[in-house]
Amino acid sequence: MSSSAGQAHHGEAHQKPLVGSMGVDSRKLGLWAFIGSETLFFATLIVTHLIFYARTSNTLSSVGALELLDPRLGYLAIELTTVLATLLLASSLTMVLALAASKARDWKRFRIWQLATILLGASFVGGQIYEFIHLYHEGLKLAPAFEMHLSHEAHKALTALNLDPSIVRLKEAGEHATALVPSLFGVTFFVMTGFHGLHVTIGIIWLIAIYVKVSRFPESPENPMDIELGGLYWHFVDLVWVAIFTLIYLI
Amino acid sequence: MRKDARQKVVLATVLASITMVLAGCANLPATTMYTYGDHATRILDLLMIVFWMAVAVFVVVQGALVYTVVRFRNKPAATTLPKQIHGNTKIEIAWTIAPAIVVLIIAVLTFRTQAANSVMPPEAIKIRSVAHQWWFEFQYFNQDGVSLSTPIVVDDQNQPTITTATDMYVPVGVPITVQLDAADVMHNFWIPKIAGKTYMIPGKSNYLTFTVTEPGIYKAFCAEFCGEAHAQMHFRLIALPAAEYEAWKANVSKIPAAATGTVQVLGLTGDASRGAALFADAKKQCATCHIINGTDAKGKIGPNLTYLGSRTALGGAILPYSVDNLAKWLQDSNAIKQGNLMGRVIKKGTLTDQEVADLTAYLDSMKLSVALPAEK
Amino acid sequence: MAIAEQKLTSTAPTTKESFQWRSWLATVDHKKIGIIYIISAFIFFIIGGIEAMLMRVQLGTPNSTFLSADLYNQLFTMHATTMVFLVVMPMNVGIGNYVVPLMIGARDMAFPRLNAFSVWLFLGGGFLLYLSFLTGGATNVGWFAYAPLTQTQFSPGQGVDYWILGLGLTGVASIAGALNFIVTVLNMRAPGMTINRMPLFVWMNVVVSFILIFAFPTFTVASIQLLFDRQFGAAFFNPALGGDAVLWQHLFWFFGHPEVYILILPVMGMISEVLPVYSRKPIFGYSFVAFSGVGIGFLGFIVWAHHMFGTGMGPIANGFFAAASMVIAIPTGVKIFNWIATMWGGDVRLTTSMLYAIGFISMFIIGGISGITLASPPIDLQQTDSYYVVAHFHYVLFGGSILGLFAGAFYWFPKMTGRMLDEKLGKAQFWLMLISMNVTFFPMHILGTEGMPRRIYTYESGMGWEMWNFIETIGTFFLAFSVLMFIYNVLVSLRSGEVASNDPWDAATLEWVVPSPPPSYNFLHIPHVTSRRPLWDAKYPHTTADDHHGEKSAPSQIRYEYSHEDSPGAKEIHMPTLTFMPMVLSAGLTVAALGFIYINQAILGLPIRTASYVFVAIGIVMVFYAIRGWVLDSRRDSPYLGHH
Repeated sequence: MSSSAGQAHHGEAHQKPLVGSMGVDSRKLGLWAFIGSETLFFATLIVTHLIFYARTSNTLSSVGALELLDPRLGYLAIELTTVLATLLLASSLTMVLALAASKARDWKRFRIWQLATILLGASFVGGQIYEFIHLYHEGLKLAPAFEMHLSHEAHKALTALNLDPSIVRLKEAGEHATALVPSLFGVTFFVMTGFHGLHVTIGIIWLIAIYVKVSRFPESPENPMDIELGGLYWHFVDLVWVAIFTLIYLI
Repeated sequence: MRKDARQKVVLATVLASITMVLAGCANLPATTMYTYGDHATRILDLLMIVFWMAVAVFVVVQGALVYTVVRFRNKPAATTLPKQIHGNTKIEIAWTIAPAIVVLIIAVLTFRTQAANSVMPPEAIKIRSVAHQWWFEFQYFNQDGVSLSTPIVVDDQNQPTITTATDMYVPVGVPITVQLDAADVMHNFWIPKIAGKTYMIPGKSNYLTFTVTEPGIYKAFCAEFCGEAHAQMHFRLIALPAAEYEAWKANVSKIPAAATGTVQVLGLTGDASRGAALFADAKKQCATCHIINGTDAKGKIGPNLTYLGSRTALGGAILPYSVDNLAKWLQDSNAIKQGNLMGRVIKKGTLTDQEVADLTAYLDSMKLSVALPAEK
Repeated sequence: MAIAEQKLTSTAPTTKESFQWRSWLATVDHKKIGIIYIISAFIFFIIGGIEAMLMRVQLGTPNSTFLSADLYNQLFTMHATTMVFLVVMPMNVGIGNYVVPLMIGARDMAFPRLNAFSVWLFLGGGFLLYLSFLTGGATNVGWFAYAPLTQTQFSPGQGVDYWILGLGLTGVASIAGALNFIVTVLNMRAPGMTINRMPLFVWMNVVVSFILIFAFPTFTVASIQLLFDRQFGAAFFNPALGGDAVLWQHLFWFFGHPEVYILILPVMGMISEVLPVYSRKPIFGYSFVAFSGVGIGFLGFIVWAHHMFGTGMGPIANGFFAAASMVIAIPTGVKIFNWIATMWGGDVRLTTSMLYAIGFISMFIIGGISGITLASPPIDLQQTDSYYVVAHFHYVLFGGSILGLFAGAFYWFPKMTGRMLDEKLGKAQFWLMLISMNVTFFPMHILGTEGMPRRIYTYESGMGWEMWNFIETIGTFFLAFSVLMFIYNVLVSLRSGEVASNDPWDAATLEWVVPSPPPSYNFLHIPHVTSRRPLWDAKYPHTTADDHHGEKSAPSQIRYEYSHEDSPGAKEIHMPTLTFMPMVLSAGLTVAALGFIYINQAILGLPIRTASYVFVAIGIVMVFYAIRGWVLDSRRDSPYLGHH
């Protein structure tokens, strides 16, 4: 996506390759606009999730079963997610350090921090895959109902409520009891976090590409800007996770 | 030449206006310009005010455009450049405010009408209409048991006293609140002469309140695209004087008498009692989808066919009711209404002509005596 | 004045170059890409028009059996999808692509390869949409695809999936194109081309690009969610399983209403270029016209639910969206008044282009007025989903966008081809088109008022709708004939039309400085701009004195350029090299999307499913190959990496 912006400008091309009439690098301007667009993309996913979560929790609380069956408390492991969020936030920090190193033309330090960013990102994606598999086994699936394993007490309490089977269906298999709750929580959760994970993955590929390119052409004056762009996208992806983490896990 | 063009424009404008007025004059079967319900009448009153404002705006702006073009059109003799005016802030502010005032007036009038059309008086009769691909169902309840504050839910405890389809009976002069539901996809409830449209949405109940002012039979449609046979999803609103409406309710609640009698159709003699046996025969599948009160036919997919003989129309109100049309429908409904669900099971040739004649006789035998008003 | 009196002759080389496929398929030149957009959009215009005519024949008489219900439903869905996404949008983008860099004094778009990617991906999306006719039927759920009709239980074929993925590809192409426009206009302007000196067409393209990048993601998400419903049983929009049908409408119209402005604002920009040139005056109230466009863009995001007045949102929500919608009448009115004022006192030359521009205003007034009645919720409840609303949006989309695009076509055709279109034929075409569009669309107001619902494939006799429907059908044939006249005009003019000079209309903006057609690098010398009408002020220096804003600026030094590909100095201008990679990338995405449509069709048996995996895999390989090639190709243009 390298640009000919510089060439379009009467001979100044070779001094300021990518800076145009706004005084900003063209790719940076484009990336900012793209991030604006992506914000709407994630906003839509998050809003959809919140709408359907509110619906599920309203239904459950109207029958007094929210404490026992709240999918957010029942499935989302705050500990794991906090670790993931920390990894991703740390990767933003290492990204900043990588950029700073590149500006100081310290390519060795750049490679260390860039690699750290990539590894932190990759461990985030790994953690997310682990979480998805775990949730799948717990009964949260890409399906319009979730099946929650119940403790003995919870099962007793729910049985006592004598709920409409269209709201909660209790199942017993030997010693284990589960509650089947029609809800789009799983669907909206997996689609939202899955698309975020996809963005992180794309970000990792981008950072690797930058790493390879900078290692091969350390003398290229475009390097700091290339790194800055990759970093800009990476910070955005992190920020989206902060939003998801706050809205979906914390509040 | 230019004079001609100007005359043409004037002529076209006049013609267009006359056409609009003429369109308003004709009391066509589904026009929104002749109203017999308070909801539609209030809309029409608002529309007429907005229409004349629109005509005024049209004449002024279109006139200004045409006048400017004609007056300042290129004069071959002109050699000097026109004055290079870049703008005039005062004028521009003025014509920013002018449309704002027009719009403000329309908005105030709009909110007034909207408020009046949103009222649901507590004494309103509550009827539930459920839209299906591609027909309308109407359910009547014991009015003591329904409230306007919560949606009517039909379950084992709460069954409608009357379930019918295609013909919606209402009394004249009394506010009616229709609870609008959908069984499958989105539909839209529209009786042009009585009330504006309201969506029928699966999973969400909507309400529409109107009062019919004159007895009559009114055309009505599904107005939201709902699949293959959307074009043929109609119904009829039959507004009766209060006493006749009560009589209809009393009669239609009764179980139909045992089927007797014959009809001549398709050149054959159809026998009602044979038809009743066919209808109940599981192999013929009629009872899989249809209900007839007082019999074992308890299917819930298609319309309730009790007193079909008294319906004014068939097949989602696309055929006027007659024994011939009923027989045609039973023979090959696909030819009449592409995509209809019955046609996927009962195809051409599934029933013999004699079976069709017998079923026709049976369904036609279930009749009520209702004095129908005129079509409006 | 001195320059204007010069005898202007084109110096474009007249030697016939042999047509080279490579120079088009691998092009990164904004002008060639623009022309690919324009030609493709025009072909889709003809296809969409044929669909419309088939529907009109069906509706010409009651109880017609010319088309089946299902085919009719496919046709009206594809007609709308085509006209919105494959005709008006790409036509705007195509003309913008060609003209915007020239207008701001740039040599290309900011990202030429991304630009090529956009056009090929748009064609990939169009290909998928039309492929569905051959693979079991196109989508038949209406272009706004209301849930839950789109669920597999009600729409079991693959038509809806083709629609989702086809529009997904054109959506990505549009976003990429919009980003390109934003960066180009903000960052590639020639020295002195400040924001408030930009031509209004450029202004509107930027506004539209911003609308696009903020509106499209909502639709992208909604259609991804719908795809999950259909392919993986997700139930976002399936109320039977806990989903929400109305949510689709909110998400769709949050995109869909701004989309309406995406269709009309660039055309308003064209009108704002054409009217001043043929009135020989500057635009009246430049700032008001520009900022009313910005205002429309903003307001476009808070009016979406006026498409949903009947869904039971309640009087308060309806009231808010009604008020917001009516407010849009204000900036729209401002534009119309300013256009009329631009002609007022001018020397109005009624060329074909000008006739179309005036026709645009005239028809847009009608469409705007009918829009006001639809913005009032009570009235809307009678008029929506009837033929009245069909009349309304054809007045703004045909009477507006299409007539405006013809104004732009006649205006810029000489610049793009070096030949003039035949004016006499053009004027005849204009009058035929204007009259026949009114014959076709005006009676729809009446039919809607008489209760004819939209999207019905047939109607019974005796409703009083027969006469107007028949007249409309006749109108479409004349409308089609007027389009044929245009095609004939283009074909003849390309061969033997009058040769166009640099500046055949005595215009004001920079695209008329360079030869017709311009060389690949556009400007031999990047112009230094000192005013809003750089070329005009160079030709008529004495007229710059009474500049409305009293800006005292240096006299314009712009001179016509008579350069060509081999001009002295042209060789030193470095333009990006040809590359096939954007096309390969688009093709890869299209192939993968095609495979994805069948990813979960277990019903069809193993072979289809396997084939779909193979398609997806091939597509992904192509994507990675293309990205690698793209990076390598761009190295050749990099002053720092190209020497390896």
